Amino acid sequence: MNRWLLLGVLLLGGLGTHSLFAQSLTDCHCLIKGVVKDRETRQPIAGAVLILKETGRNATTDAQGQYKIEQLCQGTYVLECRIVGYKVIKTTISLQHSAEEDINLNEDEVHLQDVEIVARRIQAPLTQKSTVLQGQALEQTRGQTLGDALKQITGVTVLQTGASISKPVIHGLHSNRVLIMNNGIRQEGQQWGSEHAPEIDPFIAKRMTVVKGAAGVRYGSDAIGGVILVEPEELPKNGKINGELNTAAFSNARMGVVSGTLQGGIPKWEGFGWRIQGTLKNGGNIRTPDYFLANTGIQEQNFSVTAGYRTGKVGVEAFYSQFQTNVGIFSGSHIGSTSDLLNVIKNGEPFIKVDFNRQIERPNQLISHNLLKIKTFRNFNGNRLNLIVGRQYNRRAEYDLHGPQATTNPALLFRLTTFTGDLTFEHKPIASKVNGQVGLSGLYQYNFTDGRPLIPDFEQKNLGLFLIERVVHQKWEWEAGVRYDWRKLDVFQFIGTTLDPRLHYFGSWSGTSGVVHTAREGLSFRVNFGTAWRPPNPSELYSKGVHHGAAAYEEGDDQLKPEVAYNLIGSVDYTHKRFRAELGVYRNLIQNFIYLKPQAEPILTIRGAFPYFKNVQTQAVFTGIDVDTEWEIITNKLIHTQKLAYLRAYDLRQNNYLVLIPANRLESGLRWQLGKALKCDNTYFSLNHLWVDRQRRVPPNSDFMEPPAAYHLWSVVAGGDLPLSKGKVLQWSITVQNLFDTAYRDYLNRFRYYAIEQGRNSSVRLKWSF
Amino acid sequence: MKQLPTKVPLFLAILLFIGGCGKKEQPTPAEENELITTVRLKFTENGTTNTQTFQWKDLDGDGGNAPTITSIVLRASRTYKLDVEFLDESSTPAVNKTADIQSEADKHLIAFTPIPSSLFTYTAGDKDSRNFPLGLTGTVITSFTNMGTLRVQLRHQPPINGQPVKNGTITPGSDDVNVTFSITVAP
Repeated sequence: MNRWLLLGVLLLGGLGTHSLFAQSLTDCHCLIKGVVKDRETRQPIAGAVLILKETGRNATTDAQGQYKIEQLCQGTYVLECRIVGYKVIKTTISLQHSAEEDINLNEDEVHLQDVEIVARRIQAPLTQKSTVLQGQALEQTRGQTLGDALKQITGVTVLQTGASISKPVIHGLHSNRVLIMNNGIRQEGQQWGSEHAPEIDPFIAKRMTVVKGAAGVRYGSDAIGGVILVEPEELPKNGKINGELNTAAFSNARMGVVSGTLQGGIPKWEGFGWRIQGTLKNGGNIRTPDYFLANTGIQEQNFSVTAGYRTGKVGVEAFYSQFQTNVGIFSGSHIGSTSDLLNVIKNGEPFIKVDFNRQIERPNQLISHNLLKIKTFRNFNGNRLNLIVGRQYNRRAEYDLHGPQATTNPALLFRLTTFTGDLTFEHKPIASKVNGQVGLSGLYQYNFTDGRPLIPDFEQKNLGLFLIERVVHQKWEWEAGVRYDWRKLDVFQFIGTTLDPRLHYFGSWSGTSGVVHTAREGLSFRVNFGTAWRPPNPSELYSKGVHHGAAAYEEGDDQLKPEVAYNLIGSVDYTHKRFRAELGVYRNLIQNFIYLKPQAEPILTIRGAFPYFKNVQTQAVFTGIDVDTEWEIITNKLIHTQKLAYLRAYDLRQNNYLVLIPANRLESGLRWQLGKALKCDNTYFSLNHLWVDRQRRVPPNSDFMEPPAAYHLWSVVAGGDLPLSKGKVLQWSITVQNLFDTAYRDYLNRFRYYAIEQGRNSSVRLKWSF
Repeated sequence: MKQLPTKVPLFLAILLFIGGCGKKEQPTPAEENELITTVRLKFTENGTTNTQTFQWKDLDGDGGNAPTITSIVLRASRTYKLDVEFLDESSTPAVNKTADIQSEADKHLIAFTPIPSSLFTYTAGDKDSRNFPLGLTGTVITSFTNMGTLRVQLRHQPPINGQPVKNGTITPGSDDVNVTFSITVAP
């Protein structure tokens, strides 16, 4: 048959065979072939599965990453590429004859499509539920803090100390129970403090991934509630200089944020890439519907530099970032005594009301965080060896308002230096089915505390060894892993001026096992059982003193044992025509859960009596459900989304609920995709409603104030792409949050005692890519 | 096309570790900047040179040993001059903080609250630059025989956003000191 076609081509010669072939309706000799490569290393990937959804035809790449699917009919196909450990890729292929198509007379085949597929490796565990924030959804969060950007993900909320300080909460767990990986390095910066927000500039990220559930095997200790991966884009490969400029302006706090990125290469040196990036933020006093909050300004200056070189075989990359911020702490929250606190709660609003002001005075936090990271990899025989080393220095100065004092000294100064090293070996697939990695992690950290001795000076050494293997077989994907961690903690406690050193050793196993099953097109199941552990931090072991702002005297216990979490998390993904739903269920049992238990008698201090809290251990269980639905009411035009989160946290020994757990919430959205409108492309308009319930699940008499009432918040977003000259595009969006200037309080905001939440906030965001 | 030898990145990584592990400072005992451990009330009966001193003392700061509080005993229907002192006795020599408070009179107010309020009346004898009372010295006029408590507060009332907030009442600001004595007005 092929010879006849060849003859036909020769006969017609230069006449143009276009019309002839187009008329041949039963022409089914087309083929698709190509190569599948890793996006970062450009290495071919063996064992990738390629599926043509329309016909069900499939192929697997060979050792050279090459594939071929033959005997295809003309038409348009969607080619799906699935590789274990990589993001799924879908491309549309048109097997229609076109005027530009070459006909290679040396080959038997006609209608040839050579499709190179470039796949992105994913760092998250395979069988655990993870959600990625990127693209337009991420662009709409620009200018906000990291915690605020992530709270749109179902199951994620924030723990706030006012609107400027917010920490992400995954399934009710936060601080030391949520690990943040900043560009591949564990973020270490006094994260035990509930008013210590992560010192990360969200602008360095092109992608943020939230892994829900215990992920201890891959990442080590602290990953009890989940892991947040903040990842930048890979460095550019070609020498062309390009970049982007982002600006965001907010009406509330009259805040302006500007961030720019410039990247490129060196024309004669292929494989080399560089990037520089910087962000500036400046805001003044925050406005609530009824009054301004005095001294709530924020100033931030960040920059980062990346440079790297890579070939198919080897690569090295260096990254340096600096984060600096001056955060004003609401003066009305800095109370001196329990009677001060009870007075302001009774008053219902701050005693002092001010106007708008950008000046940041005491009390405030002055924080800087420097990170230097060097990453290198080596490919050989399909195996890959990675080494990441990093050094980060976190300097946190907290300036208090109280007492006669020298105006230049902070009341509290922490200086934390952390060295990390991660060596991982990813072996080539065994029997084309089994992928896995083995790794060694090390950490060396030392802390100095000056001023009030809230936590002592300490030195910490960690070592971890892990192994994870994954198998893909037809509709099933299995994963299992094991890890051992070891920690040595040297504490330099002083009793007066005498040194009383202490030594702690901690060690623990972690394990994970899970499965993903694709029952049929549009229905898949995922189950994971994982363990993670968390040794007590120096604050839980040694703190002793009044926690200002919390109006509590907190005491540590140096006999505390590490927490161990056993997490079972399952999810179902269902897609049918224009409807998509994701249902996640989880149960996290945490042994030796450490929390602050109120004692019977208060502690009497120079500032009066404070409720006395001691760090104790119990057995806690966190059970919850996350539901996400999306319904295309009118295809590509009108989309409805719904997010529901339910969480119940229980103390099994006290037989009561745990405090400070996020209440149930339901978020609904309606989005109109208008396409071309107002001279812009991709214009859209969306309306959002958030309902947060009153937290009814609290132990009685556990707080100075009852959990606040339920509230409704409305917001609207409109945006589009405005085409500029030379093919450039200006992406714009206008957002109005808290549309109706609703007055409300949130249970997870420390400032709920002192004031209501932020009022309406209108913002304009512009992004110019060049 | 230049090819980086693979040994270079590993070498850089090791260098980073070694370079970082240089001389490290030694841990030193922390010192709290501002600590008030003692509140001293000195009552001098008008027309005499007898001075009675009552103290609220917590030498090791918050927590640790409980504070020691001496009970106040005054005579009924008398007028006393009341002087207050604030000290940091956590280290030797003790630091007298009273002068600091005096120099920052515009930001401080010492308030005396007897419960029941009929125990005595207090009038401050000193003023700050805006003519508001300070309370480091004053007059106490006791009434009839009674028993109760006396709350002594040192209010810190600094200006907010450049605007002074001190207005002579205890409402603005926050507590630097909030101690309670038991008091007996004897016949």
